[in-house]
Amino acid sequence: MKPIEIAFTLNGKPRSAEVRPRVLLSDFLRHQMGLPGTHVGCEHGVCGSCTILLDGRSARSCLTFAVQIDGSEVETVESLGTASALHPIQKAFQEEHGLQCGFCTPGMLMVARELLEHHDTPSEEEVREAIAGNLCRCTGYQNIVAAILSAAAKLRAEKETTV
Amino acid sequence: MKPAPFDYTRAASVEAAIALLASAGGEARVLAGGQSLVPMMNLRIAQPRHLVDVNRIPGHDYVRREGDELVIGFLARHEHIRSSPLVLEACPLMAAAYDFVAHGPVRNRGTLCGNLCHADPASEMPAVMLATHAEMEVQGPAGSRRVPAGEFFVGLFETALRSDELLVSVRIPVAPKRQGWGFHEVSTRKGDFAFVCVAALLQVESDRVVAASISAAGIGARAVRLLGLEQSLAGQPPNEATFRQAAEDASATVPFHDDALVPGEYRRELLSVLARRALLDAAARALSSDL
Amino acid sequence: MRSPHLADIVIPPSRQREAARSSAKWIGKSIPRVEDPKLLTGKGRYIDDLSLPNMAHAAVLRSPHAHARIIRINKSRAEALPGVVCVVTGRELSEVAASAVSFASPPITQHPMAIEKARHVGEVIAAVVAEDRYIAEDAVELIEVEYELLPVNSDPEIAMNATGDGVIHPTERESNVAYDETFDWGPVEEDFARAELVVRRKMRWGRAAGTPIETCGAVAEYDDANGYTVTSNSAFGNFIPWVLAGCLKVHPTKLKLIGVNNGGSFGTKVLLHKIIILTAGLARLSGRPVKYIEDRLEHFLNSDGHGPDRYYDAELALRRDGTMLALRFKVVDDYGAYLHFSVGTNGNPLAQVVGPYKINSVGMRLIAVLTNKCQQGPYRCFGAECANFVIERLVDAAARELGMDREALRLHNMVQPHEFPYMIPTGNIDDSGNYQAVLDKAKTLIDLPAWKSRQAEARTQGRRLGIGLVTCQERSVYSPTEWWFLNPVKTPGFALTSAPEGVQLRIDGSGHIYCQLQTPFIGTSSETMVTQVLCEQFGVAPGDIAIGYSDSHTGFNGIGANGSRFTVMVAGACVSASHRLKERLKRFGAHLLEANTADVEVVDGAVRVHGTDRHKTIAEIAIMANFFRKAFPDTPEFDTGLETTAVYDHPLATEPHPERKHLGIFYPIMGHQCHIAVVEVDEETGQVKILDYAAVHDVGTVVNPMTLDGQVVGGTANGIGTALLEEFIYDAEGQFVNANLGQFCMPSAHDVPHIRTAHLSTPSPFTEYGIKGGGEGGRMSAPAAIASAIEDALAPLGIEILQVPVPPPRLRALIRSATRPQ
Repeated sequence: MKPIEIAFTLNGKPRSAEVRPRVLLSDFLRHQMGLPGTHVGCEHGVCGSCTILLDGRSARSCLTFAVQIDGSEVETVESLGTASALHPIQKAFQEEHGLQCGFCTPGMLMVARELLEHHDTPSEEEVREAIAGNLCRCTGYQNIVAAILSAAAKLRAEKETTV
Repeated sequence: MKPAPFDYTRAASVEAAIALLASAGGEARVLAGGQSLVPMMNLRIAQPRHLVDVNRIPGHDYVRREGDELVIGFLARHEHIRSSPLVLEACPLMAAAYDFVAHGPVRNRGTLCGNLCHADPASEMPAVMLATHAEMEVQGPAGSRRVPAGEFFVGLFETALRSDELLVSVRIPVAPKRQGWGFHEVSTRKGDFAFVCVAALLQVESDRVVAASISAAGIGARAVRLLGLEQSLAGQPPNEATFRQAAEDASATVPFHDDALVPGEYRRELLSVLARRALLDAAARALSSDL
Repeated sequence: MRSPHLADIVIPPSRQREAARSSAKWIGKSIPRVEDPKLLTGKGRYIDDLSLPNMAHAAVLRSPHAHARIIRINKSRAEALPGVVCVVTGRELSEVAASAVSFASPPITQHPMAIEKARHVGEVIAAVVAEDRYIAEDAVELIEVEYELLPVNSDPEIAMNATGDGVIHPTERESNVAYDETFDWGPVEEDFARAELVVRRKMRWGRAAGTPIETCGAVAEYDDANGYTVTSNSAFGNFIPWVLAGCLKVHPTKLKLIGVNNGGSFGTKVLLHKIIILTAGLARLSGRPVKYIEDRLEHFLNSDGHGPDRYYDAELALRRDGTMLALRFKVVDDYGAYLHFSVGTNGNPLAQVVGPYKINSVGMRLIAVLTNKCQQGPYRCFGAECANFVIERLVDAAARELGMDREALRLHNMVQPHEFPYMIPTGNIDDSGNYQAVLDKAKTLIDLPAWKSRQAEARTQGRRLGIGLVTCQERSVYSPTEWWFLNPVKTPGFALTSAPEGVQLRIDGSGHIYCQLQTPFIGTSSETMVTQVLCEQFGVAPGDIAIGYSDSHTGFNGIGANGSRFTVMVAGACVSASHRLKERLKRFGAHLLEANTADVEVVDGAVRVHGTDRHKTIAEIAIMANFFRKAFPDTPEFDTGLETTAVYDHPLATEPHPERKHLGIFYPIMGHQCHIAVVEVDEETGQVKILDYAAVHDVGTVVNPMTLDGQVVGGTANGIGTALLEEFIYDAEGQFVNANLGQFCMPSAHDVPHIRTAHLSTPSPFTEYGIKGGGEGGRMSAPAAIASAIEDALAPLGIEILQVPVPPPRLRALIRSATRPQ
């Protein structure tokens, strides 16, 4: 099981690394790439807290081997914003109280980002379907839905002002 | 829960993938979407010595129409198929069943062909393949062969695929114009594997059922065609009374899978109820398409 | 008429210093949370984010058997695997680690790693320390263990009667009945004798657990000079580090426990003694810092945090006019293989066992049974959710039998607004409330009359639409007497009576306020609560406050965030600390302003002279107080610095009767909830769809309505899962059959409807600002509300819902029995 060299884009920056085949992408991001924002809750693909964007589409990083991202683009929650410059989706989550312990939050943010990149006016049903694969034990989902709908409005407004 | 060690090769072509599978003597597994395989590997239920990554083989993610067949390549992801207008038109049963399959992130990576090879007894797509009389196009060292869906699903997580073969595509007959479809499922939560699901296709002429294809998953070790039910409907009026009786009779004779989580009696009842509901929907669609 | 012993209980006078008020600037405002920026941007610093130099990783070998003697362990192949640092067996660990913690008396010994026998599937048999977790798990597979299988007791009814090798702790208990005691609080027999109706039902509460998305874990290091340093996501704070030091066989000063942000607890991460001892022991034995994080499978099998697993046989005695007289029940609770919290989860419900009703007496027989399953531990509501279910189901059954409207029966028996504080038969009190107003508010919120007419219409169409209505208590702020007052009176064990919370406050030279908490963040907005109280006290803004955390060396007494106590208790500590610091600010400020201390006050971030514009800001005072000693008189009250530590004790607790004729006041800050649920049942499939849901909560003064609502909705979602989805299934061989998130189903976004929420506030006369705890939230009521709604939907079939959960197969089975032709 020799290490394999991979080259990929991570949060917009070109990176390369050596990785053994069985290392999960979740562990690779958290411990080798220094990005602990992606969380691990189950390692069998159900809880969704490990969700990242792979080539623009949401994916479970616990069900992906790091070797598979060679030649791909990976985006994690760290690509969104910072504490002093929150992304509109993050801002909406704070305003709508869409998080409590914060453990499921990075996964929720990434599926929200994917949804809003493809639907600028999602219905509540569509939002619930988009987050249905992300488990939250704290919030009961209501405020997460409100946050994503609010984020959609923010992004629409942003688009209008930049047009 | 970390997987056991394995050797990894990225195959550049179908032939290369098959050669790798053949040389591994049954110790290799294909890595496509990984949404079924990798959880098993993380739980160490599956410990393949070699993984053959087929994700970068170009030209096999197609969803296309070839004459009167809908053909889906082995790298077509669930989400792509689910949102394809071609699928909605050519196989509305499949489009509807996709509503019950997993969640976005899993559908983004998972492939239809991978799901079929995994052959989970409660998975929806095997039932859809059976109902639509789909054919699996399998390629191995000796060449290609076609396996009808009815012969593909052999047992619990077991298919007719040999360890040195790759499922290259699925060919689904395009739904005839006046065929109605119905799909019903009960699961714990939306997106979970089914307790039971039923897929029904019906053709009606002069207020009589002239063709029926009905399958179910979740009732045993594998998805099955309900041949007895199909036969009992031939020539019958497509109404509630017919379907209720036929579905009840059919479910009385099927052997049921009893486990700690779900009693067999409940599956039996679900089969009867869901078959009836699926048939009613299929009949309504068949009749409305007549107009 | 009532128990004469209740007259012994003297309700202490209120120690409240800050009354509830409508003029508050910060208390009552839905400010955005101060915790969020770091959590939103992936900077939460959870336990698995921590990395130490030279750190190794542990994986554990779990017992595949539910009950087996460990005959021999061969670790040679595992040790030989490259990358393995060491392999440790239970016997080896016991050289550096004694047994884990138990509040049971007499205790039931638990070792963090099994030594002589495994008592449940998943119990740790051995551990591997390796360079990474992958290798550690490879090595675990190479450990060979020879077991001698022993009889498995998975069913408590059978376990109770087991003998010989079927007894799980033969040296500490003669049988698997760990506890069997009967209590009468008040004249129970007489009340039943004079009853005109007795409603009796058997009920079943299935096993589940908090199941936070983040599992439990620790990072530990040891060296001879510094002793142990252990970081973990324990939510217990710094309450008993010296006990854990004893478990690790070191002097108390040689263990430092550090907390971190927690990805949810729901009770599961309270204490975590086993993980802490295990990881620490591995660090010492391996000579490396060690990280051990439970994986999801381990967490299911071995968390020591399973919830109640109960069989109730309960009776309610009433008069024909609906007046409730007495409640009596037998409860058999399957506690699993150990008893670390004693029978506390059955003591807890006694705080509110009669619900909001004036019931004269209560009788209980409690049987705790040991079985070959993971042991129980805290799970949000700590057993009181079961008591709510029991009383509300009995009340609905009584209403049916009496032919009385279920609301009318409740109203007839409810404590009246003028009767508070109200003492219940067990001795606990309800401090304040207005149960009638909460019920009214809930009915309006969901527009109950509209749903009733929709239901009537649905019934004509043969649809099964049901409306559930429950009125439940939510006790908050516990005294730890509940951990031991049910222990045998002669051997209560460690009969502690302190349940404090502490904070340290400091104002630095720049005039900013630093608040050190000793309780880690578990998701319940603790930092925001503290910020709001301090802003209220000092008249500053959230940006002026920094929150930090102490460790067990620098910290102070505190139990932590559990039992819906934290906001109340930390508010109390913040008020104490703030008052002291404000006195110092006034003293320094008055000197600088050349005024009398009596003529100044702290308002809007400054010390101001009454009736003038003259003031000094906190920053202006702080620089002087921290750096310019000679600017002030040479007397002790002007010593340099502005800092203080304050501990706040339970504001309203008394001790239990020596023979437990009453339990004292132990959980008196009493919230109340009314939940109304509307469901539709698919009779053919047993599926339940929730059409509407309203939750009205009275948690006294609400510090932050937005975050409180978050607790209500989150708790309700949790309770919906309890009612409809969640159950741990152990088979007859003690195998935990559905120990994964695919088959143990928690609610997803499709399973929780939009929940309408509203608040009604009857402030507590006893707590600062009148705050009551609300963290356990909707889970107190939702299971009963959903059961009530399903029962109402299926009323035409005469079906009663006396069990949770009722997932579709089980509900369908009930319907099938009721509709099968005879």
